[in-house]
Amino acid sequence: MRRYFSRPAFYQGAREIAPMLIGIVPFGIVCGIGAIAAGASPAAALAMSMIMFSGAAQIVAVQLLVAGAPFAVILLSCLVVSLRLIMYSAAMAPYLRPLDHRWRNVLSFLLTDQAFAGTLQRFRRSPDIRANASYFLGSGAFIWVTWQVATLAGILAGRIVAASWQLDFVVPLCFLAVLVPLLRDRVSMLVFAVATVAVITLDAMPLRLSLVCGGLLAIGAGMLGDKFARGHE
Amino acid sequence: MNRELTIWLLILAVGAITYCARLSFIALFARRDMPPLLARGLKHVPVAMLTAIVVPAVVFVPPGVLRIDPGNAKLIAALVAGIVAWWRQSAVLTIASGMIVLWALQYVLR
Repeated sequence: MRRYFSRPAFYQGAREIAPMLIGIVPFGIVCGIGAIAAGASPAAALAMSMIMFSGAAQIVAVQLLVAGAPFAVILLSCLVVSLRLIMYSAAMAPYLRPLDHRWRNVLSFLLTDQAFAGTLQRFRRSPDIRANASYFLGSGAFIWVTWQVATLAGILAGRIVAASWQLDFVVPLCFLAVLVPLLRDRVSMLVFAVATVAVITLDAMPLRLSLVCGGLLAIGAGMLGDKFARGHE
Repeated sequence: MNRELTIWLLILAVGAITYCARLSFIALFARRDMPPLLARGLKHVPVAMLTAIVVPAVVFVPPGVLRIDPGNAKLIAALVAGIVAWWRQSAVLTIASGMIVLWALQYVLR
């Protein structure tokens, strides 16, 4: 691992991701509380954060567990929610190609909405693969550790947090902070509009399948929108 | 199946899904170009899925009850947070403004 490790870049990555953690901490607490409420043991609740390491997938899994959804439905929903990681992986891949497989395996594991948003700009600017990899490792590792500590806090302190704090509202706010900066062109706005209308109209579907169906409809609308936009160029 | 066992199986299965998704183009298909149709679809995944997660949490309060009206504190808070996110691309300001508006409205509406 030494070959691509730069200590200053590692610390810089950790330092610069720190502001993002303000959203991650309450989100992790909510995940810890939610897992316990869904009937998980404290060990399982923590393992969920350590292994799944995806707020979106964890929240969806917990909600569906509480709703008594079949195993296959939970898996399908988590899969669809995780599709965006494939897109991040594809966007990151060209920059990580020079690394050996161990680095790529570790950095892949640490790929999240926040790490992606925080590092891609830097990767585009600088060709220094050693500094970039270490920067990503610093950001990702700091996010991972924070996520575990926050989950643990939720597991331990779940009973203390009053419902009137509405802490679970940080979940949509965290995603909103990632979502809004992406709405920079007309097709993205179309995808946003279709997803909004679709999840609202399809809400009566059982087992929160509205999430899967609404999301897929919006992706289809975006592909059509691109085709239409190209046709008019 | 007992609940604890189900949850552990779920952790392993979803863990495998998230890790494979993350590894996909960085390691698994590193040597392959992405099929163009997949690339065109994936481009829209973040906006589509993030919207599909955010919107229900804001407009269905409590779950199942559609509330698109000024009396829905979460809707107002999310709109304010959205405007802040548009204006300043800062996660901190977005989350802080949303929570503060929600708490303030809760206090006022009570």
